[in-house]
Amino acid sequence: MRVALRTIFVIAIALLLQNTIILELRIDGVSPDIMYLLPIAAGIVGGPVDGAVVGFLGGLAADLLLPTPFGLTALVGTLVGFAVGAASGSVARQVRGLPSAVALVTSVIAVMLYAMLGALIGQSQFLHANLAVIAVVVGVVNAVLAGPAVWVLRWALMPPARVRDGAAR
Amino acid sequence: MSIITLDETGKASVLTTGAKSVASDIYSPLRSGVNGLIDPIGRFFAGAVNYGSLQRENEKLRSQIDALETTHAQTAAAKRQYSELEKLLAINRLPSISGLDVVPAQVTAQDISDFASTITIDKGRTSGVAIGDAVVGPGGLVGQVTEAFHGAAQVRLLTDGKSTVGVSFGNHEVATLAGVQSGSTLRAEDLSSTTAVSVGELMYTSGLAGAQFPPGIPVARVTSVHSVVGAANKQVTAKPLAAMSGLSYVEVLIWSGSSS
Repeated sequence: MRVALRTIFVIAIALLLQNTIILELRIDGVSPDIMYLLPIAAGIVGGPVDGAVVGFLGGLAADLLLPTPFGLTALVGTLVGFAVGAASGSVARQVRGLPSAVALVTSVIAVMLYAMLGALIGQSQFLHANLAVIAVVVGVVNAVLAGPAVWVLRWALMPPARVRDGAAR
Repeated sequence: MSIITLDETGKASVLTTGAKSVASDIYSPLRSGVNGLIDPIGRFFAGAVNYGSLQRENEKLRSQIDALETTHAQTAAAKRQYSELEKLLAINRLPSISGLDVVPAQVTAQDISDFASTITIDKGRTSGVAIGDAVVGPGGLVGQVTEAFHGAAQVRLLTDGKSTVGVSFGNHEVATLAGVQSGSTLRAEDLSSTTAVSVGELMYTSGLAGAQFPPGIPVARVTSVHSVVGAANKQVTAKPLAAMSGLSYVEVLIWSGSSS
């Protein structure tokens, strides 16, 4: 119960930050997107299931405020969270700097995946957006914020007992 | 994937629109509150960093206050706002708009997604705003309402990759202008190579049967015309007359011909 409440709290705060401070940080006309950072960090901290659940819930919350098709961010978040959790295993939790590298690569993939899935459901204009710039901005900012995000998600997803037991397997 | 399918096919759009409306009502005041907090914090840190030099300059600046007060009204921001409102008033005087109900609105957010060109305005269903209503800004047409919430609405800008608008120009010529996702220009679609069009020409909403916008609203100015020998169509680009970035105020036209 405590994990669920903490996770919802983290998602709500991230959503608020995304739609205020982060939205104003325009780099070459593009805003960073920290909503992809949540499933990435959750996947690193808790594994594929936690990554997928946080990706789905965070994406769904983001979709509530976005003008793009409802559920698209949730789908990408779920896939990204699961993939990061499954691929990184316990390695990214222990190697310093690896969360940033994972966040950079996965964020770029997430942006591309979002555009391609959008095009598949009739939003072909997504492919004409400045994809390279969006991917770089989102990837670099998420890489910089990966450390704090992993720390926050560890607080949300890992009660002390779970940490003692060795976290997600 | 089920959620996307239900939303895109319209089978659950009432549910998703309702959820979005509730989310908008909750987040709008939070967003305003946080934005209100950010500005003073930013100013505080800027002041703290430069405290020493600020003290020295304080006396000097005091002597300049009187002089500045007289020119205050002419600051760039004030002039820009004045010019914006003046242009908006000029749009109101157009014959095609003067008979319509108009809802003035303030822009609260712009481009909340990197994949869509939109603005969020502070007026929604309670003010009579509905999906499909045309939105005008200083200079001309800005876009169309795509989501109407309780106290806010989302407007798809002309430059969005999904936007299209029927326009008329010259000697009763008509065309469709479409947004270009990654730019601030519009592209004319299916414009026959025999159509007379020149750079600098103004384009207005056509208002033909089934049109999405009332007729006669200024939309764009032609910026380039390219004719390729043997091609059936001309390549024409146009620049919107209304500035699509940095919008502060817009007006929603309550128009019975809209798709709502």
